[in-house]
Amino acid sequence: MSNEQEKVLLRMKVNGKPVEVMVKPAWTLLRVLREELRLTGTKKGCEQGDCGACTVIMDGKAVNACLVLALQAESKEIETIEGLGTAENLHPLQRSFIQHGAVQCGFCTPGMLMSAKALLERNPRPTIEEIKRGISGNLCRCTGYTKIIKAIQNVHK
Amino acid sequence: MLHFQFFNARSIEEAINFLAEEVEQCRIIAGGTDLIPALRKEDIHPDFVMNILEIDQLKGITEMDHAVRIGPTTTFTEMIESDILFRFFPSIVQAASSVGGPQVRNRGTIGGNIANASPAADVLPAVLAYDGELELQSKVSGKRIVRLSEAIEGPYKTRFLPDEMLTGIIMKKPEPGTRGLFEKLGRRNAMARARMNLTILLRLNEKEEVSEVRIVPGAVMPVARRVRGTEEMLLGKKSEPSLIEAASEVLAKEMVEVTGIRWSTEYKVPVLKNMFKRMMWQLLR
Repeated sequence: MSNEQEKVLLRMKVNGKPVEVMVKPAWTLLRVLREELRLTGTKKGCEQGDCGACTVIMDGKAVNACLVLALQAESKEIETIEGLGTAENLHPLQRSFIQHGAVQCGFCTPGMLMSAKALLERNPRPTIEEIKRGISGNLCRCTGYTKIIKAIQNVHK
Repeated sequence: MLHFQFFNARSIEEAINFLAEEVEQCRIIAGGTDLIPALRKEDIHPDFVMNILEIDQLKGITEMDHAVRIGPTTTFTEMIESDILFRFFPSIVQAASSVGGPQVRNRGTIGGNIANASPAADVLPAVLAYDGELELQSKVSGKRIVRLSEAIEGPYKTRFLPDEMLTGIIMKKPEPGTRGLFEKLGRRNAMARARMNLTILLRLNEKEEVSEVRIVPGAVMPVARRVRGTEEMLLGKKSEPSLIEAASEVLAKEMVEVTGIRWSTEYKVPVLKNMFKRMMWQLLR
């Protein structure tokens, strides 16, 4: 097949705003978010669903954006890290991550925050075991996880 | 990544019509947790990818009089949260809980786990233990029911016809008193592919004798299947330590008969035996 494949219209909602974008069928949601919509807060890591750096929330559930074909996101609501808070008005999770020193190199942080948000929406007071399970799809190579877990546990303190 | 066209099927009829036309070059996508990595590695080169996640008829878990029907696009998360599955098929819930991390469990589906036929699948062996049946549909041959145990030909290979689609997984409710357990061994706790998993269903009669037993090791053989020799050894007998010990030897022998002696056999034999014994004690407690 030729390289110049036809693009197709994709409509979805990203961080509350309707978005229309032309995409190739083989593109993933991750590629569309980063390269078409320039929402580069969602990170590209392993691209096979192991590291969780690309975690976004789709219709209320945490998913790996690298494992969703862009066209499967048709009519869905997507939340990315850009929708979580602003520099002036941080989300409580973001504030807690800073307070607890849960950010080192920062590459895993957006995905970690989105997993934490999805967890807290279903379970506002998770135990440590539930937090560990909730972020088990997100790899962090710096922190050893302890401070991340504390940051999620103490988000409302 | 390859180039393909995308088709969003809205009903079973639309999907099987599309398969009938594009049968050679079409791959079905649901959660995509296996298919998208395969596309990216260019292990497969479809001309068409058909999405079935928007087909309502393929979703959900339904209780019937004597059986439960699971729609193939039911995700692992939905299985874990299902009261019906928890009540009748606890091993399925345990198997679904062992898959990946939350992101993968939110996307991956029971139909994908079965139709992909990975030797390392987790839910597939648990469905085998419950003797699950598959409903397959195609435009040309209509609807048919096949047993899962007869539907898998080899690693990543099913006996589905090329134009057939999996449209339901049906499991008979087990006899009251049946206990079930699933355990998995991976190289790490989270996000691990199974190196080995084991499903055991067990029922005792009033004399504490084994009246029914089903044992399915997964990920240790090219195709997961019940180990009949081990099951027969236990049937009708009182489950005493010496019997469980002897059954674990037969179980290891049945595995080695299929796999032959490999570099990993020295490790897998004692681990499988111990996993089996520990689970049997847990079920008998």
